[in-house]
Amino acid sequence: MINHLRQLVISSSVLFAVLVTVYPAHSAPLKVLHLSLSAAETGFDPVMTSDLNTAAIEEQLFEPLLTYDYLARPVKLIPRLAAQMPVISDQGKTWLFTLKKGVYFSPDPVFKGKLREVTAQDVVYTIMRFMDPKNRSPYKFLVDHKILGLNALADQARQTGHFNYNAKVEGLEVVGPYQLKIRLTGTDYNFGHAMAQPMFGIVAREVIEAYQGDTASHPVGTGPYMIGQWIRSASINLVKNPNYRDERWHFTSQDPQDQKIVQAMTGKRIPQIDQVDIQIVEEAQSAYLSFLKGELDVFGVPGQFAPNVLSGTELKPKLQQQGIQLQRLVDPAIAYYFINIEDPQLGGMALSRIALRRAILMSLNDEEMIRVIYKGQAFREAFPIPQGVEGHDANYQSLIHYNPQEANDLLDKMGYKKAKDGYRRQIDGGPLYVKYTTTLTSQDRDLEEIMKKSLDRIGIRFVSEKLKFPEIIRAERQCRVAMRLSAWIADYPDGDNFMQLWYGPHTHENNASCFQDAKWDKLYEKTLALPNSPERDQLYRQLARLLEINGVTKVSTSHIRNVLIQPWVVGYKAHPILPSTWAYIDLIPEGERH
Amino acid sequence: MWSFFIRRLLQMIPTLLGVILLVFFLFNWVGGDPAYILAGKLASAEDIANIRHQLGIDQPWYWQLWIFIQQIATGNFGDSWATHESVAHIFKTRLTPSLVLLIPMMIIETVTAVCLALLVAVFRRSMIDQSLMVVSTIMMSISLLVYIIVGQYLFASLLGWFPVKGWSDSLWRDLTYYAPLPIFLGLLVSIAPSLRLYRTFILDEINQDYVRTARAKGLSESRVLFKHVLKNAAIPILTNLLMGLPGLLTGAFLLERFFAIPGIGREIILAVERSDFPIIKAATVYVAIATMLANLLADLLYRYLDPRVNLK
Repeated sequence: MINHLRQLVISSSVLFAVLVTVYPAHSAPLKVLHLSLSAAETGFDPVMTSDLNTAAIEEQLFEPLLTYDYLARPVKLIPRLAAQMPVISDQGKTWLFTLKKGVYFSPDPVFKGKLREVTAQDVVYTIMRFMDPKNRSPYKFLVDHKILGLNALADQARQTGHFNYNAKVEGLEVVGPYQLKIRLTGTDYNFGHAMAQPMFGIVAREVIEAYQGDTASHPVGTGPYMIGQWIRSASINLVKNPNYRDERWHFTSQDPQDQKIVQAMTGKRIPQIDQVDIQIVEEAQSAYLSFLKGELDVFGVPGQFAPNVLSGTELKPKLQQQGIQLQRLVDPAIAYYFINIEDPQLGGMALSRIALRRAILMSLNDEEMIRVIYKGQAFREAFPIPQGVEGHDANYQSLIHYNPQEANDLLDKMGYKKAKDGYRRQIDGGPLYVKYTTTLTSQDRDLEEIMKKSLDRIGIRFVSEKLKFPEIIRAERQCRVAMRLSAWIADYPDGDNFMQLWYGPHTHENNASCFQDAKWDKLYEKTLALPNSPERDQLYRQLARLLEINGVTKVSTSHIRNVLIQPWVVGYKAHPILPSTWAYIDLIPEGERH
Repeated sequence: MWSFFIRRLLQMIPTLLGVILLVFFLFNWVGGDPAYILAGKLASAEDIANIRHQLGIDQPWYWQLWIFIQQIATGNFGDSWATHESVAHIFKTRLTPSLVLLIPMMIIETVTAVCLALLVAVFRRSMIDQSLMVVSTIMMSISLLVYIIVGQYLFASLLGWFPVKGWSDSLWRDLTYYAPLPIFLGLLVSIAPSLRLYRTFILDEINQDYVRTARAKGLSESRVLFKHVLKNAAIPILTNLLMGLPGLLTGAFLLERFFAIPGIGREIILAVERSDFPIIKAATVYVAIATMLANLLADLLYRYLDPRVNLK
């Protein structure tokens, strides 16, 4: 018996020693980044993606041709799958992309165990998919009517029910296995931004065709990560893509605050983190409590939750003591009021109606909105292009200030007289009211109260219209929404993405104010032919001023994004445009955390 | 018995047709048009028309209704309009987490409520009875949301007895690690009304003549309670229990949302927000069928528990 035991102990010791010797790497703990997303993913086929949460994951799974520099502010385009920045010629109409060599898709049974390299033909296929009516891509607009010959193919597909991916497209010329020339229908200096969107992550045709009908469940890209384990609507585990190339952390910055990041990360292989564990946590309280327990490494603080975390603009002392870091950045987005120019009550370009709209816009108290609705996590923005976006003018002075007295004077002067009930009537004595459209959320209830108070101050009756969000969008596109506080977040960081909101031909699309003015449209069209330049900025200022003069819109606020980071996260810098940057950061191993 | 069973099954057809019509017309008139959301931010009228065509919502109403009926007949509700995931797969994968939460809750709630109801019935009008009723009223008056917010903070964050949130793909781990706190908090709300209801049922029986006769015959109090009173009170208790069964299909939205449980309740609410008609249609039809079946089961069990009940 004793001999048996001795034998067992010796055997176990030998086995242990062998295991330790043979697999020393296995003893190193995995670096796992724990994150949460506030809404469930909607599937991982980039062409079908429309929400930011899904895009954040796709940013790690797929790679577009270009991307944004991790540290540069304002943001700067850099190559990702492209070997260098594209050669732009013919006044922004021709873009020549050269691909990196040796870029492989992540392993998938479709490839039958072989490495599959990315070629220019994959880029052509990826772009073509956006125009296939079957994919009903929400980001089709980035290439729609922009590439020579591509729309003809889409028209044909609508007629035949079949998109011909084998067809030659004039605007998509494969110059060589790693070179692609894209010819545009017109000058477009923003095309590079389109090619940096995660939705334009390159896919392999054979994979898409093999999983036809269920492509969203089979993401196969070239990104640093691939899907490990996936419980739909609950958790997504990303693991390192074994086929990812030897890419090194190379970002530079002149900003003194970035030097620590540069020092800690430069030269490290991307990605450093072995796994990314993402949980879908819709409630901010649950995510925050998890973060406090150390179960999450990064936490994006929702605006209304900010008072629990911040004292003014600083992190609460209790959190500071735990070594938690706070990063604040301005979202590339605006909240803006628009008034529908076709509305029978408020619309039209007669002087009296313009004055009415300007008076309404002057009655709106943005400071109260910032305090009550946004809990101080926003600031007054006057220009339609927000901070951090090309074309922004920090010195722009708005004509429309909060001034109920001046608004009342203007209305009196124009003949909008008050009746016995204290509310004004139209100049001809007809009823006058603002039908304000909102959703049923609690935040919108607060907003309604502020709106009603504002309009009461100038004697204009407030009428509320509550709709579900899809219905609001439909009503806006049919020019049926009289007035609303809307928001727009940059699809890409260029002023054009914001200014197009008032372009006449975009009425019934996303020009919710249905503003159609030949002078304005002509000026706007001039901006399209210009790259980011002082000349274009000047035109943007004129466009902004015209919007105010006509009482079409009032830019209200821009918002601050607060991100909490655990002390063991290394190299994190919140990015205003990239939906995720997990491949660029590192973690202090659990055993070394203090 | 069999003729009753078949007749009841046949009666379900017009009821189901009524449900189908109601759901169809309600959703088509007030449900919103998902094409405007699915189309994205800068969609043209042509894009929206293309989406409406693909979803089939540009078809005449009678044709859409016919497709809906076909879907019910085949059990194939197609794919989610928002995520392209098949509705069958959504129900298959999201129902289990909800059931892991709700079945233990239902069992614990029923057993606890019946036991406590018997206890307070025995000690009716005593201090125990009155105290329990006061506590029940207080517990019923507090919203589940309050229990969740306070409970999550206290038990998960402050005391660290439970995880704050999460779910895994292991049934055992879910049941023993992630589910206990949401189950406990759900019970805090659900036990009280059941207790009050069951107490009433039991007190109704205790005051019957047959109980007095049983006691007069010298039967022990426990025998009177468990053999006679509980058996007769079981019919309304069972009805209440069976009527709660279809609720299993709709999940527990708040608990699922706060504890990040990928259940069907969360999915249905999300579908309503997104105007994702295939999921809403399937959920409504499933719940309607489950309700009718639960009714039928209740009737059959009445007969089993009380042979005097005549099924006509």
